[in-house]
Amino acid sequence: MTGPEPLGPDAGADSSDPKADMRSAADALAGPARNAGGARTTSDLSIDEELVLHSIGWEPVELVSGVSIHAVPVGVWNWGQGEIGYASAAYARSFAAAVDRLHQACTHAGGHGVVGVHVEWAVERHHIEVTLVGTAVRPVGSTGIGTDPVFVSDLSGRDFALLHTAGWAPLGLAAGASFVYAPRRSMGATMKQSGQNVELTNFTEAMYAAREAAMERMQAAALALGGTGVVEVKVTEGPMEFARHAVGFTAYGTVVRLVADEHRHVGARMVLPLDDAQVGFDAASLRGG
Amino acid sequence: MTVPAEPAGDLPEAAVRRFADGAFTSGLTVPDFAACLQMGLEPVGFTQGYCVMQWQWYGMPQMGGGFGYQWGGVRGYSETFNCPHGMVSQEHRAWGQNYEQSWLEDAWASGFSTAYERMLDEAGAAGAHGIVGVVDTSAPLADMGVVEFRVQGTAVRVVDGPAPADGRPWSTYLAGQRLAKLVEAGYAPVSIAATVASVGLWANCVTQYQTEGTAGMFRTGNPGEEIVQTAKAHTAARRIATERIRGQLGPDSLHGASLRTTHRAQGEGDATIEAVLRGNRVRRFKDFDPMPAPRPTVRLL
Repeated sequence: MTGPEPLGPDAGADSSDPKADMRSAADALAGPARNAGGARTTSDLSIDEELVLHSIGWEPVELVSGVSIHAVPVGVWNWGQGEIGYASAAYARSFAAAVDRLHQACTHAGGHGVVGVHVEWAVERHHIEVTLVGTAVRPVGSTGIGTDPVFVSDLSGRDFALLHTAGWAPLGLAAGASFVYAPRRSMGATMKQSGQNVELTNFTEAMYAAREAAMERMQAAALALGGTGVVEVKVTEGPMEFARHAVGFTAYGTVVRLVADEHRHVGARMVLPLDDAQVGFDAASLRGG
Repeated sequence: MTVPAEPAGDLPEAAVRRFADGAFTSGLTVPDFAACLQMGLEPVGFTQGYCVMQWQWYGMPQMGGGFGYQWGGVRGYSETFNCPHGMVSQEHRAWGQNYEQSWLEDAWASGFSTAYERMLDEAGAAGAHGIVGVVDTSAPLADMGVVEFRVQGTAVRVVDGPAPADGRPWSTYLAGQRLAKLVEAGYAPVSIAATVASVGLWANCVTQYQTEGTAGMFRTGNPGEEIVQTAKAHTAARRIATERIRGQLGPDSLHGASLRTTHRAQGEGDATIEAVLRGNRVRRFKDFDPMPAPRPTVRLL
């Protein structure tokens, strides 16, 4: 009795021979350590990201990081009116200093930019902290400093390649944050609103103020870098954990600019995946459940 | 599969019996298993190494003297931060220091490498050429101050392939298609690489006030001052970790790294900052095969 037909090789599959590759790798490991060429690198990119970067002519150079922590004194979050300028400034300075340090590390490593930056930040009662970790990259084989300014981007290797193919380039990270007091209601307003489900305009207005200021700062940062726009913006909004009467809005993203003559259509091919949407087996699905 | 008649001395007897029994064990998922076979890798067994260490944060060697004196018995990075106020009082922290906690780094390295070497011994005794899909963890055991290091992975043989140099199996955190792509791209897996950098932060007055938010009385009128000592400690921990790994690489590269940092606040601005850097040490054995630009696709569903 014969089993089912083996799965045939995909007609579109390339002709690489994984067994031969693995044998060559084992041969290299059986001999003394030596480098068959190419630079010594450190990177936190996945192999997929590295391959896709190579396909557009870029390579990783070095794992780089930048950290900055700014102090926020006692009393800053206490009741008040308008923007909490001290906290907004501490966020802006921490972000700028961390980016600056990442730039220096990238230039030092001979990179032309940093991709896949992990952005970690924290707003605490007494400090605001920003940490950036990413991989410095450069065009394959290039040495020395690039002619364009160093860029920093939190886009993945895949996104970087896609932007590149479409004729765009990342320029840097733009960030904006604003922290605003939600003012106390007047005695009259409190009395009038008590027991009713009505809009609390003091909170709505505070959130609006924080959003507008933060978005404007991010946009100004993007314009200062000469960008056309910002992609993959991440926002957080809401009251501070440790001071519920203070609301904050933060936003950051990667600034991009069209560098080709015009936007290039990437010409994506449509595919219809035939794999099951549901990976696990579920008896209910047999009964149309 | 071949088993040496005289296995390496340190192995548990049961492990030797298990490997001699014929059937293989593996920690691989089915797709990873399929990818291994496709590459000509044959699983030998699920190999493991463990090491339980006494773990004391404050197990610092004897210091050389009072404050203002360089720690004795401690090597590596240290940086002193003096008080700018010119105040002398019992409470005022007129002196602060960032210092590499080399005794902690040594303890971590010792626990990790002992567990790792035990896994290699097990794999080597089973006749393996390499170990794929390595997972390493450390967890507190039994009590405060006891940590177990665990390194586990699936030992494999390269079908018709040569044994690795010195008989030491190669190792990698990768398995399955990711490993296949890595090899196809021209990288041979050499070993997993991991290190810890630990920096202690003994806050001076400025750092203490800034961290507690009470810098106001000493404020210079410049809003949004950086907590320089803490930022420097964080930067140093990351730098030490990356430099140490780079020192271990020889002619090789570090691929797919992850750099994680934790900050343990200990009050009054004091802290311990720990950076863990892991990655795959890989060696280029052929030129990078440039891939044709991939074709973008859009899913219809």
